[in-house]
Amino acid sequence: MNEKLQALVALQDLDLMIREAKDPEQATREEELGFSLGGVDKLQRTRDKLAKQIDEQLLQRYERMSRRFTRVVVPIEGRVCLGCFMGLPTANRRNIDPGTVELCENCGRILYRL
Amino acid sequence: MPTISAAPRIETHLELHLRPSLFIPELKSKKKASVLEEMVSHLAQQRIARQADAVLEVLRQREALGSTGLGKGIAVPHARSTMVTERAVLLARSTKGVEFEAIDGNPVHLCFLIVAPPVDRDPIYLQMLAEIVKAVRLAPIRKKILEASDFASIRSVIGAQFS
Repeated sequence: MNEKLQALVALQDLDLMIREAKDPEQATREEELGFSLGGVDKLQRTRDKLAKQIDEQLLQRYERMSRRFTRVVVPIEGRVCLGCFMGLPTANRRNIDPGTVELCENCGRILYRL
Repeated sequence: MPTISAAPRIETHLELHLRPSLFIPELKSKKKASVLEEMVSHLAQQRIARQADAVLEVLRQREALGSTGLGKGIAVPHARSTMVTERAVLLARSTKGVEFEAIDGNPVHLCFLIVAPPVDRDPIYLQMLAEIVKAVRLAPIRKKILEASDFASIRSVIGAQFS
């Protein structure tokens, strides 16, 4: 996995954690079980710092798509996008430039290979 | 006269996720950071963590949100990560105890690590957190889990808390 994708994956994981910590139902349940969720602001700052390290165009795409999908960065297995589960006609290309980021031709999600 | 036998108990999500391959009988590490590393490395060996670094980072961030050291010698670090292949529970023990910044300041002896891939709605993930908290709420149970000679005994002790 190239560096661009690694940073995006880290961003996506952080966003999911922040979203869950801010979700009243989920946060209440966790706190009732004894878990502390007091560091949301700290996580938000880490998130903002990480976002600054990501290529601007790629980040914009991610931000735009994350308004539609919970998971924007998804694996591709065989020739199937595991976000929309559609087969991708050109996904069997073997010699992809490791520096490029692949997109699902159907849903537009950002793909990584398993 | 026909006898009516009790229906078999349906196992909890926690029991269904406990596996001998996801058990570390005695942690080598003594501090939170290295315990998480050791546990994630185990998950990577079991092919549950695709990229150990990414999974470790998300667990570190979860600890930054608030320590998952619940006190009474129990920690339940948990997080969802894009780099996790399936929902899993890894149980690790430490006889001497590890420094985990638990809320009561005491060392942690039982560490239940839960990881899951990110999905829109996963009630099982939260349910398992609740099941762990319930299973280990009593001191004699925690002692039994810590002293059990094999994984099957631990599973049986935990199962008994739900029957």
